[in-house]
Amino acid sequence: MGLLAFAAGCAIWLGRLDFRQKISTNVLDLIPAGEQAPELALIRGFANDVQAKVMLFALDDPSAPNVPPAAAAKRLVEELRKSPAFAEAVVMGDTAAQDALGRQIYEHRFELLLPSWLGKHEREFAATGQAREKFPAWLAERSAAELEAFLSRPEAAAMQGLAERDPLLLVPGLALRSQGLTAPGATAGGNALVWARITVSPLSEEGQGPVFAAVDAAFATVRAAFPGVHVRWTGINRFAAASRARIESELRLLNLASLVAVLGVSCIFVRRIYKILHLVPVIGLSLLGAWTLSTLVFERLHILVFVIGSLLAGVAIDYGFYIYMQPSERPDEPYAHKLRRLLKPLLASCLTTVIGFSLLLFSELPLIRQIGLFVGAGLLCALGAAMLYFAQLERPMLEGRQFGRLDAGRNHPSVRKALRGLFVVALLVALIGPWLLHWRDDIRQLDVPSADLRANEAAVRALFGEGSNGAIYLTQGKSVGEAREHLEDFTAYQAKLNPKGSTASLGLLLPTESDWQAMPARLRELGSFDHDFRAALENHGFVADSFLPFFTAFEKLRSHPSGGEYSGVAKMLEGMLAGPLALLGNFHGPAFWFLTVVEQPAGAPVPAEFHTVEVSQLESLNGLFTRYRWSALRLSLIGLGLVIASVFAIYPPRRGIRIALIPAGSCFFVFGLLGLAGQTLNLFNLLGAFLGVCLSHNYAIFSSDNATAHTAPPVSIRLSALCTAASFGVLGFSRIPVIHALGMTVALIVVTALLAVELEPLARRRR
Amino acid sequence: MRVFTRVLLLFLATLGCARAQDLPTGPEYLLKDPAHDPAWADLFAQLAPNRARQSQFEERRYFPFRKTPVVLKGEIRIVPARGLSLRYLEPEHRILIVDARGLLMRDDEGRERAAPADSRAQAITSALVSVLRFDLPALEKSFAVHGRRDGAAWTLAFVPLEPTLSEFVGVLAVSGQNGRLDRIEMVKSPTQRIEITITGTRENVIFPGDVLERFFR
Repeated sequence: MGLLAFAAGCAIWLGRLDFRQKISTNVLDLIPAGEQAPELALIRGFANDVQAKVMLFALDDPSAPNVPPAAAAKRLVEELRKSPAFAEAVVMGDTAAQDALGRQIYEHRFELLLPSWLGKHEREFAATGQAREKFPAWLAERSAAELEAFLSRPEAAAMQGLAERDPLLLVPGLALRSQGLTAPGATAGGNALVWARITVSPLSEEGQGPVFAAVDAAFATVRAAFPGVHVRWTGINRFAAASRARIESELRLLNLASLVAVLGVSCIFVRRIYKILHLVPVIGLSLLGAWTLSTLVFERLHILVFVIGSLLAGVAIDYGFYIYMQPSERPDEPYAHKLRRLLKPLLASCLTTVIGFSLLLFSELPLIRQIGLFVGAGLLCALGAAMLYFAQLERPMLEGRQFGRLDAGRNHPSVRKALRGLFVVALLVALIGPWLLHWRDDIRQLDVPSADLRANEAAVRALFGEGSNGAIYLTQGKSVGEAREHLEDFTAYQAKLNPKGSTASLGLLLPTESDWQAMPARLRELGSFDHDFRAALENHGFVADSFLPFFTAFEKLRSHPSGGEYSGVAKMLEGMLAGPLALLGNFHGPAFWFLTVVEQPAGAPVPAEFHTVEVSQLESLNGLFTRYRWSALRLSLIGLGLVIASVFAIYPPRRGIRIALIPAGSCFFVFGLLGLAGQTLNLFNLLGAFLGVCLSHNYAIFSSDNATAHTAPPVSIRLSALCTAASFGVLGFSRIPVIHALGMTVALIVVTALLAVELEPLARRRR
Repeated sequence: MRVFTRVLLLFLATLGCARAQDLPTGPEYLLKDPAHDPAWADLFAQLAPNRARQSQFEERRYFPFRKTPVVLKGEIRIVPARGLSLRYLEPEHRILIVDARGLLMRDDEGRERAAPADSRAQAITSALVSVLRFDLPALEKSFAVHGRRDGAAWTLAFVPLEPTLSEFVGVLAVSGQNGRLDRIEMVKSPTQRIEITITGTRENVIFPGDVLERFFR
């Protein structure tokens, strides 16, 4: 009844859950939301909320390879805009939109660009050490010289009309500095490019199904009107959907393969195979308990927890095998008596393992905390379920085939010597090999690889000008003003690092708050500038009267300088932006930031004082994962220490040493073997080792009495270990790197532990 | 992005020299079927860039707000299979490459900036590349072709059919003697124009691999 009530309670809880909301497939959800480093939290938010919603489309017409199918692109945009799934869609290189933005910037050049221009020149003048009253004449001469130099540049011919109206080169200067931002589309060749932003997260179901349907409908319309046009497209939602599908498919396939492997092994060791079905409720209740407790405790769980957690079945089955296959002392031995007899090894095995996994709850990485709780809870449920379930059976006994010990030559000293030699070699491998291990921490290992989609994305993004030699940085602050000040410092830092490199940022369209506040006073100081600039222009070969519209506008500005709050200028700039440009900065709290494109591959990390971080977000989080690995290693070692201490508290020292050495030795031997083989390991090999140690620990405990009595290990251990090795071995073939690492490590450790359990008594001299 | 388009137009207009007021743009000079006009066919065949060439050039940019033109000097390289490359040596070092893929600017450090791929830029680039190659069938789609001959001297003027192209380019003119191209001009108005004088042309130049790599793409 108790078991039924437990199962019903769990089923009701799980049945009422919204699994799509509860389970995440986003790799960034594996990073702690409150990660201490603010820039990482910022990148996480940027990647999730801004970058992830962008979708890119490239259209080409194979029958006219050098001519972008602009009309088809325009039609695609019209169709996408009709769908509520899309917030906006624009044709890249839309000259009308660019011209409109250019006009707006020109109209507001004195608010947006003049404060920075004045501030920059004033600072340069101050560096000359000249008297303050000479500033207007110095500025006039400098401006005329800059205009003359500008006319020699290739771009000058294109901007001559603008230069006439804007001889201070506020807008032309901006255009030159911003080329890094306007480059997208420049490498598109015969492709027409469409940029779109969806309304909801691409990681949610609403950001996938409805969006794909809208895209398909739009493509159908475009193809009907332009039959030859071919479309390539990419977006985070395609990866998310593929990742989910791949994980679900792998789950089905691996679970089926594991089941077949377990059944195959069971057929060898179990006489009446159908009786093995009695283990299903034990495993089922264990998984049910683990799912329920995890979903109760954690607000959101990553899908990998369930993938990895499904391995719990391999551990949970141990208790069932041990109870179910344990022969009775006498034919009429009651179940309660048998259970009391087995209670010590069962509790020692289960509780020490649970203590070990409980330590994972202190990890910084949410995934590890979730796995710790899932497995710990599952093990307790498995033990409870096994003890209670078999009490319901009239004769809970699964007869196994005892093949005897591998001790055909146990009386031969040469065999004993050979085995001892083998153990010495194993010891050397365990001591030396781990030092040769290479560790590589890459957050992308958490993701599910999808080579086709990645190749497609790389191709499409290359057409949009991404993936070049440049680097993108994100500069943040607590307000727009602070973010802009930090950007000023960062661009100065970049200019020092790479004097000839180009740095482009939306933030440079906005003055710093200090330059904005100082502009009225600076303009008042320029009383003679009009006269000085005319003279300087004439001296440099210009016809000063040609610039009359500028002089009129400048004098008007000096009489009535722009005023108002700094936030007003930021708001005005924000109002001008749409499409991709609008995603290059964030003018709303709580985090204010600007993106900067630097024409130089990213080098050393930017010093913290610049509040700037490089935005190749996934790669930049690898350092974080190294930290997590060390954290997991520390916790695992403490857990191992606790497990060993518990063993010594329960068992006498001699048996305790054996029980402690088998799992620890197996683990270090496997790491040693991998080290000697030149393998590169990651955080998940470490977690697999922890799981493997816990399993080996069970075998060491369950075989303890037999080892002392010099009898063969119970068949339940062989069956359990081989089932686990088979099922985890299957996982070692997974294409998901995490599952592969876990499966391979656990299988190797378990096989090693089983061999140790079998061979260790043979290497000892019989007393 | 418009910058690139305009730059391209202006620079490509540097293939000839004729004063604005002298351009043969009147109806009497219109060549109705230049590709098959026996008076011009031989010249077009000679001018078509079927041989690799290298020349010196002097570019004069006239601005309405300057008393004197801005003068730039450099080298032109033409490789039929690759396109045209302008190497500016004065006052700043810079390379401008024009080919079937569009316009590319390259500085001394090898950093590149390509022109945008928007339809307007593409259309203009395409038209100007046609001028450069004297690809008459293609030219006739975008320009009205005018021509005048005076003994060995000749002048061709290309008047854009599309207002957009006209706004950016003005009139493109090329002129020379016999089968030699001497000047290129882009004229928007008498005070707003670019003239390029070409001298020291060497035909059938064999460019080594590193030169091709540096000056073309």
